[in-house]
Amino acid sequence: MKTNQLQVKKLYSLSSEKKKFSFPLPLKKTIRIGKREYEVQLKSDEKLGTYILWKNRKYPVEIVRSRQNKYEILFNDISYTFTVETPFSLQRMKVLNSKMGKADKEEIKAPMPGKIIDVLVREGSSVLRGEPVVILEAMKMQNEILSPVNGVVAKVMAKVNSNVMKDDLLVEIKL
Amino acid sequence: MKIKRILIANRGEIAVRIIKTARNMKIETAVIKTELEPNAMYISLADVIYDNTEDESEIPVFLNVEKLIDIALKIKADAVHPGYGFLAENAYFAQKCNENKLIFIGPSPDAIYKMGNKTIARKIAMAGGIPMAMGSEGNISNEDEAIVIAEKIGYPVIIKAASGGGGRGMRIVRKAEEMEKMFIIASKEAEKAFNDPSVFIEKYIENPKHIEFQILGDTKGNVVHLGERECSIQRKHQKLLEEAPSCALDDSLRKSMGEMAVQIAKAVNYYSTGTVEFLLDSDKNFYFMEMNTRIQVEHAVTEAITGIDLVEQQIRVANGEALAFKQEDVKLNGWAIECRINAEDVQAGFAPAPGKIESLHLPSGPHIRIDTGVQAGSSIVANFDSMIVKLIVKGKNRKDAIKNCKLALDKVWIKGTKTTLPFFRMLVRNQKFQDGNFTTAFIENLDRYYLNSEYEEMLAAWLATKLFIEENLNEDSISIDFKNGKDMSPWLLNKRINQF
Repeated sequence: MKTNQLQVKKLYSLSSEKKKFSFPLPLKKTIRIGKREYEVQLKSDEKLGTYILWKNRKYPVEIVRSRQNKYEILFNDISYTFTVETPFSLQRMKVLNSKMGKADKEEIKAPMPGKIIDVLVREGSSVLRGEPVVILEAMKMQNEILSPVNGVVAKVMAKVNSNVMKDDLLVEIKL
Repeated sequence: MKIKRILIANRGEIAVRIIKTARNMKIETAVIKTELEPNAMYISLADVIYDNTEDESEIPVFLNVEKLIDIALKIKADAVHPGYGFLAENAYFAQKCNENKLIFIGPSPDAIYKMGNKTIARKIAMAGGIPMAMGSEGNISNEDEAIVIAEKIGYPVIIKAASGGGGRGMRIVRKAEEMEKMFIIASKEAEKAFNDPSVFIEKYIENPKHIEFQILGDTKGNVVHLGERECSIQRKHQKLLEEAPSCALDDSLRKSMGEMAVQIAKAVNYYSTGTVEFLLDSDKNFYFMEMNTRIQVEHAVTEAITGIDLVEQQIRVANGEALAFKQEDVKLNGWAIECRINAEDVQAGFAPAPGKIESLHLPSGPHIRIDTGVQAGSSIVANFDSMIVKLIVKGKNRKDAIKNCKLALDKVWIKGTKTTLPFFRMLVRNQKFQDGNFTTAFIENLDRYYLNSEYEEMLAAWLATKLFIEENLNEDSISIDFKNGKDMSPWLLNKRINQF
């Protein structure tokens, strides 16, 4: 393992908005602005939980999710998603992306707990990307849940007036 | 003081707010403990607690008139404060309180009814010569009738719930083809929210400022205004930031709008606190929109610049006292801003983000007032509104208030749920906001709803890289609070939902 890693000279953090941040290894504990390097410290205490101390300011941080090389980080109340790649895996990812096959169905899940106000599609009906499929009420707000894909409705699990939990399956769409 | 014990028919920060003033006035408060929030902050502060956790009724207790009256009598309250929302603008509730010899801390049932029904309110305003946007004479019954009126007054038009408020049951229609869909949505929403599907139509004033006047009246016929609030920073008609006064008004416009507001209040023999809402167009023409017959969420900014405790005034007026001051005694000092820190995901277009507050650290200081009903460990449940904290900041002038607000925002620390904080951090740095150059369309026209700091993103990327190294390269690891959620990325969520 160790010998393998010696070959990695740098890591890339790719944001979900396609921004690329590169960090030479070993990872420095400073971040440069202009000509000055500022120390970054990851700290934790009972009162504040985990935070980053940088330029005399504390920023709250939370790791919302991490899976394989993908990290969702809540930094100062804003969430960022990064995939961390080595120069090799970045290359491989580019190749794979160009060859990858597509899934045959899309599951639309409740993005938050709430109550189903209306179901706008039926099994067998075709939907377009961006078309509302379900109206979900949460926190006094009605939210249209939109289809992320074009396809045909395969299953409708959402029932009018029923309460749903976050991530409950609402509608399944066959691509 | 006749009033010895007040039942607060509400929850959250407004219940806490009412308790504070009542305590200063040496009046007891009673609150209702519900199954949804048995450990809420307001419960721990009250003198009397009615335990309603066993209630199996379908209707939430705060909306259940008979039940509330029953509770008030049982706990021997002599007055009821409705707060805002729930039954605060329900004439039947006020009437029932009166019938049961309970003092309703608010206006008369008649004033609530007349101003609550927007078509009646329009007629009253029209009779008084108050400027208004053109619209339907009364309620409209179907989309065809709506189209006829819209053709007459010209698109765009806005469909509004006759019994509405708070942005619900409102839809903007820009062309005839959209009318049917929007009419049905507005009417359905109105029926659900206000138990009344009636809607009416008004000419839609494009890009106005939302200016409202705080009204205060007593039962002797005295009515004064306490200056205006600007609430143009709103999305989907939900206010996010309010300030007092407004930089769009000079003394002469303030005087004429204030006089109109007082005139409307007098037309319905108004007493207690109320708010007259106007739209102000870019040529400084103003139009009466509606009157809210309650204490508003944003009342604190008016308190900050007038030094008047509005809840105290409500209680004194309900007690039968005359106002202790006249219009000329009301002086506006300095500038106040209120940020509504809500459990919402700004990156996902302000989608609701219910959750449990893991930690909460709030700033304090001479310029800062915090109104909240939550503490660390509280849950923000999906059944109620998403408010966590109202941050109210004062300054000598607008610039000073914005500066103080910027500093205060960086000291608010909330963990456990996403909040509207990143929005406010962006807003106080926005040039147009700083210049006072904004309308109700401000948020819609933003490219990004939150502060996008290159350095913060870089620090987050650094942290991701560090985590990757720790997990894959066996370096010394440090503990981090992991949350095993399967949250959808807010960017993805933003693409997948569309809020009305």
